[in-house]
Amino acid sequence: MTIPIRILTVTLCSLAVSVGCQSRDNLGGNRTKTATGKKEVIGVSLLTLDNPFFKIIGDNITASAAQHGYETNVVSADKDVAKQGNQVKDFIVKGVSAIVLSPCDPKAIVPIIQEANAAGIPVFTVDIPCDQPGVKIVTQIATDNYGGGREAGNAMVEVLGASGGEIAVLHFKQAQSCLLRVRGFREVIDAHNQSGKPKLEVVTELESGGAKDVGYKATEDALQAHPNIRGIFAINDPSALGAVAAVEKANKSGQITIIGFDGMPEGKQAIKEGTIYADPIQFPDKMGIQIVDAILRHSRGESLPPELLIPTKLYRRTDALNDPDLK
Amino acid sequence: MNLVLRRLIPEYGMFLVLLLLCAFFSFVTYSEQSSTGEAGADQVASEIARQAKPADNVLIVTRRQTDDIRFADKLQRNLASREMQVAGVVQGEPQDARVAMERLLQENQKIDFVACSQASADWRVFANIPVDFPNFGNPRVVQPYVYYWPNFLKFDNLLNISNQISVIAVVAIGMTMVIVSGGIDLSVGSLIALSAVLSARIIRDFAGATDATTTGMTLACIIAILCCGAIGAFSACMITYFGIPPFIVTLAMMLVGSGFAYMLSEGQSIAAMPDTFVWLGRDASLFGLPNAVVLMVALYALAHLVMSRMTLGRYLYAVGGNREAARLSGVPVERVIVFAYVVCGLLAGLGGVVLASQLKSGSATYGNMYELYVIAAVVVGGTSLSGGEGKMPGTLIGAFTIAVIQNGMNLTNVESYTQKVVLGFVILGAVLLDQIRGRRYSA
Repeated sequence: MTIPIRILTVTLCSLAVSVGCQSRDNLGGNRTKTATGKKEVIGVSLLTLDNPFFKIIGDNITASAAQHGYETNVVSADKDVAKQGNQVKDFIVKGVSAIVLSPCDPKAIVPIIQEANAAGIPVFTVDIPCDQPGVKIVTQIATDNYGGGREAGNAMVEVLGASGGEIAVLHFKQAQSCLLRVRGFREVIDAHNQSGKPKLEVVTELESGGAKDVGYKATEDALQAHPNIRGIFAINDPSALGAVAAVEKANKSGQITIIGFDGMPEGKQAIKEGTIYADPIQFPDKMGIQIVDAILRHSRGESLPPELLIPTKLYRRTDALNDPDLK
Repeated sequence: MNLVLRRLIPEYGMFLVLLLLCAFFSFVTYSEQSSTGEAGADQVASEIARQAKPADNVLIVTRRQTDDIRFADKLQRNLASREMQVAGVVQGEPQDARVAMERLLQENQKIDFVACSQASADWRVFANIPVDFPNFGNPRVVQPYVYYWPNFLKFDNLLNISNQISVIAVVAIGMTMVIVSGGIDLSVGSLIALSAVLSARIIRDFAGATDATTTGMTLACIIAILCCGAIGAFSACMITYFGIPPFIVTLAMMLVGSGFAYMLSEGQSIAAMPDTFVWLGRDASLFGLPNAVVLMVALYALAHLVMSRMTLGRYLYAVGGNREAARLSGVPVERVIVFAYVVCGLLAGLGGVVLASQLKSGSATYGNMYELYVIAAVVVGGTSLSGGEGKMPGTLIGAFTIAVIQNGMNLTNVESYTQKVVLGFVILGAVLLDQIRGRRYSA
């Protein structure tokens, strides 16, 4: 039902615009933005909308942009960089005021960002940065993954610091963000070990694919190879939940401390139930709002830092018990 | 009249659907535009001249972009010829405009007009000048006239559509031949990825990466395309000489091709190639038409000739229509089928090279789901999945139908989930319409 209504609305709007604003009186004077009947559009192409994380980013961009008189066009690239390229080209033809991307592939997106640069349209990235040379990006907004990794490390030390023990890391090495998370985590663990307290040893670092099924298998293998594992750090919630399942299957619930990352609803639920100890959580809603803020500041001619990092917050069981979103 | 319609409608039913879609999206994307470049500059100049008093000061603000630079140059010349004062020209970002205005304020300069292109007029740095720059007075922001024209029908957008669909359209040529001969090829999406990765990898490892010569790059692409052709030949042999159904063979090759692509690329995208590699995918050498589009049109012309005028083409229809009858009539059935799959493989390889060129890198994630879009283009174009029927121009129309729907929905802000649903139903509806009309008029 929404499609015909949508099309009807667009049709009626364009009719209204064409009938109502044929005059050329928007030329002189300090015309208000609405006088022309046309709103500035922000084009947003996100990695995927299957993941609630990106959905929240998109929804918050739309809501926040509407408050400032922008229209948004949020599309999912379905992790296909060729599709994302086409979407950006359509944005350019449409003459959008700004383009927001979470690149599907930071290398292959380069020529596409260059096209937007050549058309003079400012480009912003959200969550996934593009650090390749030759592209001009106004500002890149992302989670402070390194800081989040440190928080995860501190949480691990909090539980196991007094006794020491073996730790497994469920990694996803393709993603720059996960490399940062694990680096932050390992630095805290190393610092703890140098302080002379009982040692925490990272005995294995396995590929989790960032997914439940792969994380599950990887944890099973890790438990086979290292039966004395006391802690697991998983780089996102799906792989942490995979680890939970594997630990339950091995009848080791309660003996192994699992720390995830993200703060997805399912992950928070697991924290409430106590199967995951804690998560450094990300704030996709803040990312969406900050992006619109950055676009606005850029348009006002203010200077922006090349990178805006949004800190994580450690979410524990006490937070989960007081969380109104969890039933 | 009736007779003409009777003959035209089954033949060009899909073309009508495409035209209707274009008309629809033109109507829906009918929106405000404004003159760019020199025409816009003349409008702004005469408008300023109309309103200005002697000794009024003009600040020109545009983006740093081809059209805007021409706009600023022309405007400066035009204002100079009217003996108006230009206080400054800013070409860049909103921040540059702010800096320039602050500098003018310090120098105690007064500004009466800010002349903008349409895009820079939207910058919020000008939204509230009397408050943000209190001693500036109340300069007027002047921008080019507004007129109305569908975004969909902009020349740039039409080129955009053709360019976007070129890969799928080229691969659909081979797919049409395969489907006409009574088969199906599910491996094309993977072959696109394989060819993109293979050509990128050869350029990186053997042709000198970013210093590769044109010859080196051409050779790399040809090798990649030939490899895909070889895989097509392999599939065809499995189908013809071992009697395995095409669906199964090409499904297997889809996995094999994708796996090879991931192995060769090690899961990364390979971008070490010279800038000139984008020639095929993004440059426009012939009358401003993108090279990929020229290639697509040339291939369709050739394929249409083969299918309608050459023995080989007629053999394809014969084999697809009734394999046994074709064999008994002396058609070399096996060789004809092998030909179709080899062409399909080669063109999938070519599609991969075009895609790699458009994105200036090769990655195993390319071509995902393309086999379905390609098959959809062929079927929407009126080719029968049971073989023996179908025309090349129909496939081209089918490919464009899909491209127009996708592009139109992007232009009208339709959300991506909804896009999939709409695309699915439009494909179904288009084929249904074609079926009903075909039945009524040809009966």
